[in-house]
Amino acid sequence: MKILVATELRQGKWNNASFETIVAAQQIAKDTSSSASALVIGKSVSAFADELATKNVAEVLRVEHDLLEAYTPDGYCVALKQVVESAKPDLVLFPHTYQVRDFAPKLAAMLGKGMIGDCIGFRNESGKIVFVRQMFQGKTAADVTFTGAAPWFASFQSGAFRADLLAAHPSGKAPVNSVAVSLSAEQIRTKPLELFKEAKSAVDLTQAPLIVAIGRGIKAPENIPQAEALAKSLGAEIAASRPICDEGWLPMERQIGSSGQTVAPKLYLALGISGAIQHVVGMKGARTIVAINKDSNAPIFEIADYGVVGDIFEVMPALTEALEKAKSA
Amino acid sequence: MNIIVCIKQVPAKDAPLAIAGNWIRESDIGFEMNEPDSYALEEALRLKEKHGGEVIALSLGPERVKQTIKEALAKGADRAIHIADDNFAQLDPLGSAKALAAAIQREKADLVLTGLQSDDHGFGQTGVLLAGLLDRPHATIIMQIEVTDGKMKLKRELEAGWFQWMECPLPAVLSIQSGINKVRYATLKGIMAAKKKEIATITRESLGISAEPTQKIEKIYVPTKTKKTEFLTGAPKEVAAKLVEKLKFEARVI
Amino acid sequence: MTVQREQLEADVLIVGAGPAGLSCALHLANLIKKHNAAGTKPELSAENIYVLEKGREIGAHQLSGAIMNPKALDELVPDFQKSAPLDTPVTDSAALLFTRNSSLRFPITPPPFQNKGNYVVSLSKITKWLGGLVEAAGVNVFKEFGGADLIYQNGGVAGVITEDKGLDKNGKPKDNFTPGYELRAKVTVLAEGTRGSLTKKLVAAKKLDNLNPQSYGIGIKELWDVQPGRIQPGYVAHTLGWPVPASMYGGGWIYGLSNNRVSIGLVIALEFANPQFDPHAAFQTWKTHPFLKRLLDGGKLVRYGAKSLPYGGWYAMPRSFVDGALIIGDSGSFLDSQRLKGIHLAMKSGMLAAETIFEALKSGDTSSKILGAFPNKIEQSYIKQELWKVRNFHQSFQHGMLGGFFHTAIQQITGGRGLIDPMRAHPGNEAYQKIDGRPAPERFKGDGKFTFDRLTDVYHSGTRHEEDQPCHLRVADTNICSTKCAVEYGNPCQYFCPAAVYEMVSESGGAPKLKINAANCVHCKTCDIADPYQIIDWVVPEGGGGPNYEGM
Repeated sequence: MKILVATELRQGKWNNASFETIVAAQQIAKDTSSSASALVIGKSVSAFADELATKNVAEVLRVEHDLLEAYTPDGYCVALKQVVESAKPDLVLFPHTYQVRDFAPKLAAMLGKGMIGDCIGFRNESGKIVFVRQMFQGKTAADVTFTGAAPWFASFQSGAFRADLLAAHPSGKAPVNSVAVSLSAEQIRTKPLELFKEAKSAVDLTQAPLIVAIGRGIKAPENIPQAEALAKSLGAEIAASRPICDEGWLPMERQIGSSGQTVAPKLYLALGISGAIQHVVGMKGARTIVAINKDSNAPIFEIADYGVVGDIFEVMPALTEALEKAKSA
Repeated sequence: MNIIVCIKQVPAKDAPLAIAGNWIRESDIGFEMNEPDSYALEEALRLKEKHGGEVIALSLGPERVKQTIKEALAKGADRAIHIADDNFAQLDPLGSAKALAAAIQREKADLVLTGLQSDDHGFGQTGVLLAGLLDRPHATIIMQIEVTDGKMKLKRELEAGWFQWMECPLPAVLSIQSGINKVRYATLKGIMAAKKKEIATITRESLGISAEPTQKIEKIYVPTKTKKTEFLTGAPKEVAAKLVEKLKFEARVI
Repeated sequence: MTVQREQLEADVLIVGAGPAGLSCALHLANLIKKHNAAGTKPELSAENIYVLEKGREIGAHQLSGAIMNPKALDELVPDFQKSAPLDTPVTDSAALLFTRNSSLRFPITPPPFQNKGNYVVSLSKITKWLGGLVEAAGVNVFKEFGGADLIYQNGGVAGVITEDKGLDKNGKPKDNFTPGYELRAKVTVLAEGTRGSLTKKLVAAKKLDNLNPQSYGIGIKELWDVQPGRIQPGYVAHTLGWPVPASMYGGGWIYGLSNNRVSIGLVIALEFANPQFDPHAAFQTWKTHPFLKRLLDGGKLVRYGAKSLPYGGWYAMPRSFVDGALIIGDSGSFLDSQRLKGIHLAMKSGMLAAETIFEALKSGDTSSKILGAFPNKIEQSYIKQELWKVRNFHQSFQHGMLGGFFHTAIQQITGGRGLIDPMRAHPGNEAYQKIDGRPAPERFKGDGKFTFDRLTDVYHSGTRHEEDQPCHLRVADTNICSTKCAVEYGNPCQYFCPAAVYEMVSESGGAPKLKINAANCVHCKTCDIADPYQIIDWVVPEGGGGPNYEGM
């Protein structure tokens, strides 16, 4: 089986999720005695292509065109359709980014194929790859398989695989080949304009990969800055269980639970949260759950991967310090 | 502006899920409008209020989806199309999109709006697939729409607090970000008027599209925790150090 | 804030789409249909009948055991056996006496607990089905709309104002603010169920109280899927004794539905002396009885709910009519507390109201002159027959079970008269004895698999409310909570609310303050009933909010 990973560049830099996807491809390749290749797409991407070639991939494809300088769904679909038709991969993998969500399903449809998106993992069942994704907002998992002939398209959720496991090329360098694509301005119907950053008026916790959540154990609003400092050192978003938002100590958009947001981040750190079912249903899809609570019987420990029975006012600052130290190490 | 809004009916958010194979037991649970689609509907209604035209609610599924269609009509959609299919829950994203596209092609719509994803399957592909099948320009995760002279200026959300403006011609397909507006309540007059609004029912078979699935959900299940809770003990500094290690090397989340 | 309200007019406005309200609507629609078909003037329309339902769907707020006597349904929908979701006929009626570790089945099931010919049903499913018939008949049923206020005109009721939607928790309009409607109607029917909020206001304003104040019970229910073979469909048991002490009135129920589903619950009269008594905890404790354990072991909780019930019967029934309005169903006290049957009486009251309203619409006179025919119809129907026999039943138990058995035994052989007729009652919320410094009891925790704490149970009620809205539990003076009530009664709201809405929270060493988790509310009305100072006023929250009693 031939696997091809479509990597993503963002504002002139790698989107690291691309490497996670190559790791996924390498694992699937190992399991099925297949080969994994990668492509880079843009206007002038040879430096990136050369960098990819040092990793353990069978081949790197360079897809370049002036009209691919800025991302447009039309540009990417038209170009990549040609790439898939010429390279003939069996499985095309993407990182599940906002950009991929914007064009990849359409690319698959243009080839008459379907895409299994936002997968959190895969299993090899006697040579057949079973993709695992979440349904019902993380309440259940689903095993999904492709029916029909290749090519097949799939994307993996950020964090489902570990980028630093990316193996280097065994003999130094993989071949880098250019794929010529034809693209005309009339084919690109939307026009991207300026990019800008904005203090988000609405918090979208569902997109946060790391979340630090506080519950009643925080006791008073004056203590929230301690949790915010911890969140900052982790690079996490701050969230809360219902009582905190009810009191107005944090805005309602930060509420997690059956009456707030449902999230499934890489890491959910629950501070002083008891784990009432109303809260748990909003976060039990998280990949790793850490709970700190002074009550050893708190139901939160039933779903936690790591638990600390202790005083959050002692553990929070210690953890913040330890994280800062790890960052500078 | 004639706008078609694709609205999915999903199991109620807090419905207890009784898993049955690759779907859930539908008896004894309530159904409701997919929340992300309600934002798309609201956006469509606002565009109609600004630019005139018609809003058509389009939905696919068994007879029960008429309830959700009526809600859309009560909120202000002018008419509705129901593609009847008892086996809707088994359709793959491309199959649903093909059915919706076939119905859309019979209408003259300037704009097709969808929510970002459904709260049940969560494929998140419908809007993009529709754009492909209808061969129209599209954009996703849209926060703002401005229409002038047959063209749109759109605000699109990116990751990490970034946004982008873009231009898009009409006709087009847009997937609307949730939370961009405050969804209106159905009024009493709206509910009464909805009774007289047209719901055209067609069967999926009658649309004459092939039903070759591209993927199959083999089964759904509650993920079991494979690990037991590992308790970390010691003085706060010790525990903190241990935890950072676990998060870095074992859980690999930082 | 002065608000411009849109006005709408109906012939008949029914507040509440429960069995009473829907039966009224359907029967009236049928009468109108026949009337129009015969060409009689004036021509009437079923479309001018509006029904308001505060739940998300019809049936969403319907909770009952339930055993239904089909006689009213038979009159209303003669072919009901073919189309109504009846679940299962009763196959066995048992009365059980529980002690902590044993249960004893009465060799002969006492007549009030005999249920041959009746059906075990989900009231939610029945009303949902009935609602379908009502809508098919052309009646306008508005879901997610509640009655917030009455409109008075010339001393009579002229309609209802629905609740404002889109106010934030401080009462300020949000983007989607939609003011409530001024819904005017020739006749308004209050079918709000137990402790109706508009009914409460009307009874007070027009002094419609009867001899006795209303008495209430609280029913707490769980629906379970159990292992096959544990219970027969149609098996109906009522339990007395443990864990309800003899000083209190209450008992449990166990109803076998089809497909290995069981309805279980406990009812307790809301007139107990201990202000720190927790009915929910009593229910969970009852579940630990070996009989229940055997039944539920290996099973799964499906849903939870709680609701109050009006026990007062005939002498607590408010006057059921005023100019422009009628009161029916549980709001009107049409419940037989001895037989625990309210559904058929609610339906029948709705049908008799429909007949009364039909005459009023034909004649154009909706004053009490015409509407006053309603209580006469009640008198001549089986409602009077049934309720008259048990007119002193509940009041007999005001001082405990033994006294109750004694009096009701005599009532049984004297057609309900007994030794004292009428037996006077005191409001249940006046029964509390002061705690005199007694410390707060430990709260029930539950094991999470078989017994549950209130928060976990509330989750299984599916209750949801728009979070950002004014609090719908209006407490007149929260200082009383922190001071007087804390000392005298230890804040019973923390204990009697089956949804953990009320909490007394001490912040940084200060006096405990009342915290209201309004979003947990399951609309049972217990707080409105049982608060010792009667300062809690339950008002209707934004429509659509509340429990989801699908299948209950």
